[in-house]
Amino acid sequence: MTGATLSERRTRSRGGLIGLAIVALAGIVLPFASAGQPFLLMLASHALIAAILALSLDMLTGNTGLLSFGHAAWFGFGSYVAGLLSKSASSDIVVLSLLTLAATVLVAGVIGAVLVRQIGKTFAILTLALSQIMFAIVFVFSDITGGEDGLQGIPMATFLGMQIVSPTTWYAILLVALLLALAGALHLRRSPLGRAWLAIRENGERARFIGMNVNKLKLMSYVISAGLASLAGVLFVLFNGATSPDLLHWLESGKVLMYVVLGGVGTIFGPVIGAVVFTLAEHYVSTFTDAWLIYFGALFVLIVIVAPGGLFGGAARIAERLSARKSGRRTAQ
Amino acid sequence: MLALSLVLNGIVLGSVLLLFSLGLTLIYGVGRIVNFAHGALFSAGAMAGVWLVASGVPFGLALVVAPVGVGLIGVLIDWAILARIRDRPMVDSLLLTFGLALLITGILYELGGRNVQIMPIPQVLGGVISMGGISLPAYRIFVSILAVALTVALILFLKNSKWGLRVRAANDDPEMGACIGIDRERLMHSVVGVSAALAAASGVAAAPIFTAHAVVGDKILILAFMTVILGGLGSLRGAVVAAYVVGLILVFGEGYFGGQLALMLLFIMVMAMLINWPRGFFGEGRTE
Repeated sequence: MTGATLSERRTRSRGGLIGLAIVALAGIVLPFASAGQPFLLMLASHALIAAILALSLDMLTGNTGLLSFGHAAWFGFGSYVAGLLSKSASSDIVVLSLLTLAATVLVAGVIGAVLVRQIGKTFAILTLALSQIMFAIVFVFSDITGGEDGLQGIPMATFLGMQIVSPTTWYAILLVALLLALAGALHLRRSPLGRAWLAIRENGERARFIGMNVNKLKLMSYVISAGLASLAGVLFVLFNGATSPDLLHWLESGKVLMYVVLGGVGTIFGPVIGAVVFTLAEHYVSTFTDAWLIYFGALFVLIVIVAPGGLFGGAARIAERLSARKSGRRTAQ
Repeated sequence: MLALSLVLNGIVLGSVLLLFSLGLTLIYGVGRIVNFAHGALFSAGAMAGVWLVASGVPFGLALVVAPVGVGLIGVLIDWAILARIRDRPMVDSLLLTFGLALLITGILYELGGRNVQIMPIPQVLGGVISMGGISLPAYRIFVSILAVALTVALILFLKNSKWGLRVRAANDDPEMGACIGIDRERLMHSVVGVSAALAAASGVAAAPIFTAHAVVGDKILILAFMTVILGGLGSLRGAVVAAYVVGLILVFGEGYFGGQLALMLLFIMVMAMLINWPRGFFGEGRTE
């Protein structure tokens, strides 16, 4: 029995490593494939940021089952905090990331402490409200944040005193950030903490009965998720050189949710794939039609009805069924 | 003087909010669905109303036709889309209505919702009524009376009709209701239809004040969510009290601090209340 679980765990960790290797390989090949097409590299960079953002939401929804309809709040929060800090304090990408992370952990810790005590539906409603409030705050302090026009003129980011100029360097930084985040997410999933989260996702009541501090665990998940989203915001504002209230709009939250739902909630790699596919699709669809929100909404509805496990989840289910049939045949023989 | 005029305006906003949140509470009570698309239906009602009035339909008729039309769309949505996920986990219903909100907003954008459309105030209801140094546009008084009248009518209908009896039974215990022969599908169709019609009615009635465009319902949806949380999710009398509390907080906040800050204030107050009273004013909010 123990042997079975051990080997199962080993194959699963191998699956994670293979996944990481595939993402790294695909990421490294792309700049060569897109040589001479600077726009494609920029689109890919934005897709990488979207992938980190998607992963951050999956750290919450995939682990504890809590749905956030306002995850853009933390993405936008990170981008504004980092943008304002880079104008006043330092332009070093590492310093900015650490300072923004500290600010996010503090704020998300306080807000999250109230949020995670609510039932799932109230949690969902309040997260949507939170993103609207963050949106409103930008306009309350519009003399600092630039209001409607957004925060412009972010100084060029530096790393150990060197300026980060070339798009290829940026792409490499974003790819490394995504790989680190993926490795972290995979590690957490296999750690005792990750197991405890999954227990809450499957049945919060039982998790409480066997002595877990459910609210504390949920809060940890929320803060980690918010922190990673704010880091995506830091990378966005430094890469883009500006940020705007659009980042905090509920449409942006809807997109993040779409990445995760499209890819498959809780599959870690699924949301990353979902984010990349969706970012590319959004770009190409919006070149030939104005009404992409209709397509977006219709696809959203369709996926929830037809494929609740998402693309990745659906593929995994088919693979599972195939392998089950194969092993079934083997035992029959 | 300012305070008294703010109180009056708070009551006007509270009444609109009440009519709007009622649909949200109703659909939650029977279907256990939090409808993120409710705000989009408000916008749909407002835009339909403006379009009807602009093409020559009298305001009074538009106030009936637009809600009926949107209500039928609501029935269609329930029959074609919401019915597909009846027995799925709660998460799916949240995602589905959120997707619907995106879809409806997208369609409204294509139907001219990118531009702000003005609804003229009907001539009979124009003018300003002043009393003791306080003045309030007559139309705002009309909106408040209309919203309160519709709310009272709905509550009476819920208490005294067969349909109301079924709704209340399904609200208290859906499984038991199904056991004694309530057709859950048909009941849900009618509830979503009525809920959509209420959203549209508040949209048309408020259009001369809030104007009409594709995302006019966004802000009122957030206010309504704050209302149902303050009152306790699924509690009818909680929603009635909370609607006026939210209306007053918002109008006073706007009067003294400005609109965006008022929204922030409201959110902080709701969060603070949830720490101690997570189930709303009357402790009737559901915990499932």
